[in-house]
Amino acid sequence: MKKYWKSLDELKENQEGNIPANEVAPEFSIEGLTEDEVKSKLKSNRRDFLKMLGFSVSTAALAASCEQPVRKAIPFLNKPEEVTPGTASHYASTFYDGNDYCPVVVKVRDGRPIKIEGNELSSITEGGTNARIQASVLGLYDSYRLNHPLKNGQKTDWTTLDSEITNALSGINVTGGKIIILSASVISPSMLRIFEEFKTKYPNTEVIYYDTVSYSAMRKANFETFGKEAVMRYNFADTEVIAGFNCDFLGSWLSPVEYALQYSKSRDLTNGKNTISKHYQFESWMSLTGSNADIRYPIKPSDEKVILANLYNYIAAKSGTPQIQVQASPVDISKLAEDLMLHQGKSLTVSGTNDVHIQTLVNAINFLTGNQGSTLGFERSSNLKKGIDERFEMLLGEMEQGKVDALFVYNVNPAYDYYDPAKFINALKNVKLSVSFGETPDETTKLCTYVCPDNHSLESWGDAEPFTGIYSLAQPCIQKLFDTRQMGESLLKWAGNTMDIHSYIQKYWEENLYPKQSEYLSFTDFWNHTLQKGVFEVQLGLYACPLYNFDYLMSLAPLMFADKPASGLELTLYEKVGLGTGKMANNPWLQELPDPITKAVWDNYLALSPTWAKENGFAMEDLVKINGTMELPVMLQPGQPYGTAAIAIGYGRTDGGKVANNLGKNAFVLASFINGSKQYSISSITIEKTGSTYPLATTQTHHQMEGRPLVRETVLGKWQQNPESGNELHRITEEKAVSLYKKPHYDSFHWELAIDLNKCIGCSACVIACQAENNVAVIGKEEVRKKRIMHWIRIDRYYSAVPPEKIGPDEFFNLEPENPEVFHQPVMCQHCDNAPCENVCPVAATPHSKEGLNQMAYNRCIGTRYCMNNCPYRVRRFNWYRYADNEKFDYNFNDELSKMVLNPDVVVRERGVVEKCSMCIQRIQEKKLKAKNENRMLEDGEINVACAQACPTKAIVFGNTNDKESRVSKLFDNARRYHLLEELHTLSSVGYLTKVRNKNVEDINENSEQHS
Amino acid sequence: MRNRIIFTPLFLFFIIFSLTTAAQNQPPVEYTVCSACHTIGKGKLIGPDLKGVNDRHDEAWLISFIKSSQTMVKNGDPVAVKLFEENNKIPMPDNNLTDDQIRGILTYIKNYDETAVTSTTTAEKPKSDVPASGQDDSSLKMQKQKYGPGNTRPTFIIFFVLFLIALIDLTFTKIIKAYFVHVIIIFVSIFVLGEIVYVEAKELGRQQGYSPDQPVWFSHKVHATQNQINCLYCHSTAMESKSAGFPSTAVCMNCHNVVKKGKITGEVEIAKVVNSWNTKKPIEWVRVHNLPDHVWFSHAQHVNVGKRQCQECHGKVEEMDKIVQVENLGMGWCVNCHRNTNVQFKENEFYKEFAKYQEEIKAGTRSRVTVDDIGGNNCQLCHY
Repeated sequence: MKKYWKSLDELKENQEGNIPANEVAPEFSIEGLTEDEVKSKLKSNRRDFLKMLGFSVSTAALAASCEQPVRKAIPFLNKPEEVTPGTASHYASTFYDGNDYCPVVVKVRDGRPIKIEGNELSSITEGGTNARIQASVLGLYDSYRLNHPLKNGQKTDWTTLDSEITNALSGINVTGGKIIILSASVISPSMLRIFEEFKTKYPNTEVIYYDTVSYSAMRKANFETFGKEAVMRYNFADTEVIAGFNCDFLGSWLSPVEYALQYSKSRDLTNGKNTISKHYQFESWMSLTGSNADIRYPIKPSDEKVILANLYNYIAAKSGTPQIQVQASPVDISKLAEDLMLHQGKSLTVSGTNDVHIQTLVNAINFLTGNQGSTLGFERSSNLKKGIDERFEMLLGEMEQGKVDALFVYNVNPAYDYYDPAKFINALKNVKLSVSFGETPDETTKLCTYVCPDNHSLESWGDAEPFTGIYSLAQPCIQKLFDTRQMGESLLKWAGNTMDIHSYIQKYWEENLYPKQSEYLSFTDFWNHTLQKGVFEVQLGLYACPLYNFDYLMSLAPLMFADKPASGLELTLYEKVGLGTGKMANNPWLQELPDPITKAVWDNYLALSPTWAKENGFAMEDLVKINGTMELPVMLQPGQPYGTAAIAIGYGRTDGGKVANNLGKNAFVLASFINGSKQYSISSITIEKTGSTYPLATTQTHHQMEGRPLVRETVLGKWQQNPESGNELHRITEEKAVSLYKKPHYDSFHWELAIDLNKCIGCSACVIACQAENNVAVIGKEEVRKKRIMHWIRIDRYYSAVPPEKIGPDEFFNLEPENPEVFHQPVMCQHCDNAPCENVCPVAATPHSKEGLNQMAYNRCIGTRYCMNNCPYRVRRFNWYRYADNEKFDYNFNDELSKMVLNPDVVVRERGVVEKCSMCIQRIQEKKLKAKNENRMLEDGEINVACAQACPTKAIVFGNTNDKESRVSKLFDNARRYHLLEELHTLSSVGYLTKVRNKNVEDINENSEQHS
Repeated sequence: MRNRIIFTPLFLFFIIFSLTTAAQNQPPVEYTVCSACHTIGKGKLIGPDLKGVNDRHDEAWLISFIKSSQTMVKNGDPVAVKLFEENNKIPMPDNNLTDDQIRGILTYIKNYDETAVTSTTTAEKPKSDVPASGQDDSSLKMQKQKYGPGNTRPTFIIFFVLFLIALIDLTFTKIIKAYFVHVIIIFVSIFVLGEIVYVEAKELGRQQGYSPDQPVWFSHKVHATQNQINCLYCHSTAMESKSAGFPSTAVCMNCHNVVKKGKITGEVEIAKVVNSWNTKKPIEWVRVHNLPDHVWFSHAQHVNVGKRQCQECHGKVEEMDKIVQVENLGMGWCVNCHRNTNVQFKENEFYKEFAKYQEEIKAGTRSRVTVDDIGGNNCQLCHY
């Protein structure tokens, strides 16, 4: 029997049967107060009572005499034709911040962008997004943004700035000095043209790309092995075997939204599909991707190369190519190798390690298993991640020697995210003209002489070519909020071109892309339609796959294992799914997004293997000193390989804004530059206890559902024989379910949600989408520690492991789980037809609707919280404070500018009321009204809830189950369907489909034996 | 309650009246635009009177003139040029209408029965002695009394004094020996005071009878009744959006570009509109009908889908010189209407989703479907 637990604490609780100290207070205690608060309460006496009485009488009197405020209605002076007050417009655009690319649709309500959705017309993402893209709309209203140009930190105006910079540039042109544009990877073809134009005017200009997280080794390896310095396009959708090596392709690697979609297609068991891909993952930290793998191998970072070389040798032996001298692999790769060989052209091996050797091996494996040109290739090569580490290192040298006369910094922040920030900062001092295009006064921007603040991407025109021949357009969705100017326009101006950026992009498209299509007969037609759709694809001609250069591999072979082997504790730096590289660290939504694995918020930490930590005397939340400098708390993370550690990058900003500053520590400084590329894993790090502890805020144990069959799972072989496998309980519960009450019937609609656990990867895009759609408050670390997080949807994460046969079940509990399986389960209000919360409300504030929804009327709620106590799913949230306009919660609700992001169709809840998922009732009502207005019936899929719309894997499906043809009805007919706690007969409207892993019984045993 | 008793027949009368006139000759929606500058049989407004226009010109000429009069003037059509010059060279804006739509308008003009409306309009002739600055305080108070809950203050004071006297006499002065008198007075006072507090408290935050001064003395009576401008001409988004929309100054200027003198206010008030246009500062109207922020209300749902008349919630706006909030806009008022009002069940395809009701109607076991029947009184219809 498998055991499930949600955290190590819970596992221990299960064994010891006692409740840890911090759990003594009930989760939502009646008082709901901390100890201090209770003490202060007890002190109140008769005089306080009289004071209160007097106060309430006078307030009542005041309220009674209060005049209604005079409310103004200010119409347009001249209403634009396309604007209808009170209804939203949607504009197709593109999100690209130097890391993530995503075609989006921006919802604009009364002139304000309030929500970002994926563009369903895009062949890349098909409407998916991730948490960062969802959260990016808040960045527009960031009061930390610069609202005018700066010179030496002082306000200046554009005319002065333009003339001074142009003069300086002309001077450099005369002396023949060097001009550098240091930029994040640019994927905009028109921007590249602007660079060219700038170079024509100032011939000594060079553009150097710098990626926060480097993919330089991959470009180099591709160049050496295939002769193409490019990043390949991957297709996980058609794969049957996936082998990931330290590659978080579902969370952060290259183009995660795209891969999540493809991955979910390869894991789909609906629509008549009966087989799924088999996913092996080798990794040095517990990544989102690893948590979804069928078979996961925790490995040390230094072992990755050995394993890959062994894998290569195994395959090379079968295909008759030369082998490499290497020691034996620490894990058995024969099974994976056999699988890869068996599924020729239908597999993918990927590695996220920035090491030329590793990428060369990966290319060889993919080539030998026939994947080149099939599941990956250069045909539509990616334009993302153009940075070459060596070039940047050289640049620093040149800057130090004073060889660089002008440096233009665009969309990069090396003073924060370079591994040696001091070196960059010192080198920058030797540059005569430094200009930053930063939107905010970040670490690098504040060091530059001139700051020409760029527009936010929602205020900008733009285009993008993320993959060869696949284009998208970006258009401004709001008038500029501040006195800023788009970077491209600044460069054009200095290059002597007075064209505005809009006409420039239009001209570029007219000259270069319009001729490549035949659908539209005039450019205006083409432009208008493309702008409306947002995306445009060019058909490519025949493409010949390049051949792999084995000579290069052989020339590398002697060098591969020449370095002295790694020893000691090995550390990996990784990107968190929410915060990423830290560029959007000032976004409170992302800071309060629980990490999909650790469920921690507002901090980074040192993740350690529980066994190793126990042996070396480290406990949870111990504050440790890393390499004698950086102090971080310890997080015990099951699945973290023994003898390794991991830290998330993106924290420790010093000039990131009021939210970002001084949260966590900057782990970028632990990276290094070895073998021509930046390395994000370091061996022989030392950690020592400081003796103190540091509290971490996690949401991990405050939604416990004590050991009930919440996640149901099976393996593919069993499922193929019996689709009900793993879900046998469902039939039994249904048969047993006898009720005194009639089963509710709904005349028109019955809104229900189906969640396919096989597709859900736990990426948390839905959490942020829900937060943005429903005005969910950010409450800060302290409040999260008090278990008051407000998210209407949470993703429960469960661990499971099988006890090895060698030891008895009792002994198992004394084992620390080293490599558990992980399950993600999104839980929102289940909208039970037989809802326990509804019966206990004394004021009928939460009745049932005629469409099967559990409603919540905030203005009726008096805050007894009986409903919360009676809800078995723990999905109701209480407003302990007034989170809006409250200085103690100085996040987006306490900021006049940030408040512009609020959805005007959803109220901001007051203090003292309970709130919860409403199944996006505002969207249901909006689309119902639209159908009525158009005198027609609703179509399936027309209404979509925010979580389902944001989901990159389409794991969540919303619809009307009264319509037997709807997608959700079909999923509900699936034998895998079950409901959470269905034995309680709550008749919930949210159905889950069992998780099916592609492994067989032998795999399970072997896996656990190896790593337990 | 009394108000409601008075208003219900008024409403009924109005609805029946409007329905009967509408049945005679329904103006096409497109005519709304025309009515901004033209009348039928009521003399020249901005453009000429349209009465008999079908006889004056042939249809083909009219169609092309209505589509784009300026093109015809430029092309030197003699009739068009003459008309243009006769009307102070004010160009008639182009209309993006189909031939059939224009024919519809022309038919409407041809069949227009002016007697049906003229009788009301002549009766409503404005009094020329109304001061230009708007109504004085006394009329405001009258309106408050007319629409509001009534003045309860004297009653409250009387009973409060009685209560105090009874209390003082009971404890200190003891003039009346029979205690039951005190007790009765105290209990009755508490009951009356409680009732007043309850009634008044219910009205807290409600603004029935609210009629603030507006920055521009604007009369709906002049515009809607005398000039026959359709509500939707100015409140143009009522059919498609939650908000009915306040007209932008540009909409005012469509007519007031030319009409610079009002019948009642002379030049003063219209000058404010022109000034708003010239200074590019929108007019800051005072909102009269306010709903609390936690209420989601859609005009499109009521006007377009539910086919409700504006007057059902806003009162006889077309008879008001100054807008006043007639209904209390409280939740009870909303809910009651939802209970009693039928939805456009047969007319709107959307309601085919309600299979059960469809069958019941077919079987004859159900005579009507109210808003309440389809979930119209669910909390989350309006509160989310």
